[in-house]
Amino acid sequence: MVKRILAVEGLVCPFPLIEAKEAMALLQSGDELEVQFDCTQGTESIPRWAAEAGHEVTNYEQVGDATWTITIQKR
Amino acid sequence: MVGMIMTGIICGGLLGFVMQRGRFCLTGGFRDMYLTKDNRMFYALLIAIAIQAVGVYIMIALGVFEYSAGSFPIIAVIIGAFIFGIGIILSGGCATGTWYRAGEGLIGSWIALVMYMLMAAMMRTGPLAMVTEKFYGVQFEDNSMASSFNVSPWVLIIPFVIIVLILVYNQLRKPQVKIPSLKPKKTGLMHILFEKRWNPFVTAILIGMIATLAWPLSSATGRIFGLGITSPSANILQFLVTGDMNFINWGVFLVLGVFLGALFGAKMSGEFRFRMPNVKTALNSATGGLLMGFGASLAGGCSIGNGLVMTAMMTWSGWTALVFMILGTWTATYFVFVRPQKKARAAHATAQLTQ
Repeated sequence: MVKRILAVEGLVCPFPLIEAKEAMALLQSGDELEVQFDCTQGTESIPRWAAEAGHEVTNYEQVGDATWTITIQKR
Repeated sequence: MVGMIMTGIICGGLLGFVMQRGRFCLTGGFRDMYLTKDNRMFYALLIAIAIQAVGVYIMIALGVFEYSAGSFPIIAVIIGAFIFGIGIILSGGCATGTWYRAGEGLIGSWIALVMYMLMAAMMRTGPLAMVTEKFYGVQFEDNSMASSFNVSPWVLIIPFVIIVLILVYNQLRKPQVKIPSLKPKKTGLMHILFEKRWNPFVTAILIGMIATLAWPLSSATGRIFGLGITSPSANILQFLVTGDMNFINWGVFLVLGVFLGALFGAKMSGEFRFRMPNVKTALNSATGGLLMGFGASLAGGCSIGNGLVMTAMMTWSGWTALVFMILGTWTATYFVFVRPQKKARAAHATAQLTQ
C-alpha cells in the first residue's frame, strides 16, 4: 500500500480536483492519496468526487485558516 | 443617501455571505455541465430565476414599481455573452464570484476584479464606448418575450416554474451518495451559518429571495432594477477617477456589500487568508478580467445581470445571453481543461510505448 501526498495549495478551482483525479488514476486499489489544498470551493468538489467515484475518505480536516487536507483511499 | 448606502450594503452583504457559504459558483456550474456532465448548479440557477420571476412580477402587478424591458441588441448580446463566458473560465469565477472570492482573500481575484472594472469603465466612458455603441446599432425594439407574443408574463412564468419543479424533483430523486464532511467543531446556529455544507438548492432559494428583495430596495432609490454587478463595478472606478457623484448609485453599495458579506462569512468560518496566485494563474486572472469586462459591458450584463435577473424578467436578452455565456464557458473549458488533459494522456501513453 502506497500513500501519495499531493500539495496543491495555491491552485484555484477546478485545478485541485483535476490534479487529484490524475494522481488517483496512477494509484492502485487500496493506495491512499492525501490532497492538501486551499481553494474553498474544493471543500465541496473534492469530497463529492471521492464519494461519487466510490473511493473512501479516511481523513478530512481543516488544518488552518483556509487550508484543508483530505485523504482518499482508492476503491 | 444614507438609506441607499444601508440597503445596498445589506442586500449585497446577504448575497456575498450566502454565495460564500453556499459555494455558489456559476462559472463552475456552467463548466461542470460539460466537464463532468453535472447540471446541479444550472438547476440551482433556474430555481433562483423562478423565485425571482414570481416575486418581482407579483410586485409589478401590485404596482410597487413599473418595469420596462427596453430593447434587444441581439448582436451585442450574443458576442458579449460568449466572450464573457470565455473570460469567467480564465479568471476562475464570474463577476460576482470574483467579488466574493476577493473577500475570501484571493489576490488572483483582486487582479481579475481590477481588470474587469477597468475594461467595463473603458467600454462606458472610455475609448471603447464607440465599440459598444456600434454593436448596439442592430437591435429589436421589443425585449420582453411576453409582449413579443402579446401575452401576459404569467403565461411564460407559470410553465417555466413547472419545468423547474420537474427538473429539481428528478434531480432530488436520483440516488444520493453521502458526501463526507468535516468533523463539526461548532454547534447550533454557529454550525449552520459558519461551518455546515449548504445544499446548493437551499442556497439557490436564498439567492432567489435576495434577488427579489433587491428590486424594491433599489427602486426606492430611483434605480429600477434588481441585482447588477457590471455597471456598478465600472461606476466605482468612474467615480474614483472623476469624483462625479452621478456615478454613485444603489448598485455601487450592492457590490461593496458582496465583498463585505463574503469577507464576514469567510472570516467567521476560518476561510479567509490572503492567497497569492502563481504567475500563470495571475495572468489568466488578468486576461479573464478584461474579457469579462468587455463581454459583460457589450452584452449589457454578467451572469447575474443577464443570467439571473434579465432571465427572470422573461426577456430575450437575458435568455440569449445565458445560452451564449454557457457556450463561451464550454469553449474555454475545452481549451483550458479538456485539450491539455488529452495531450498529457497522449504524451504519457507515448512515453510508455517507447520505454
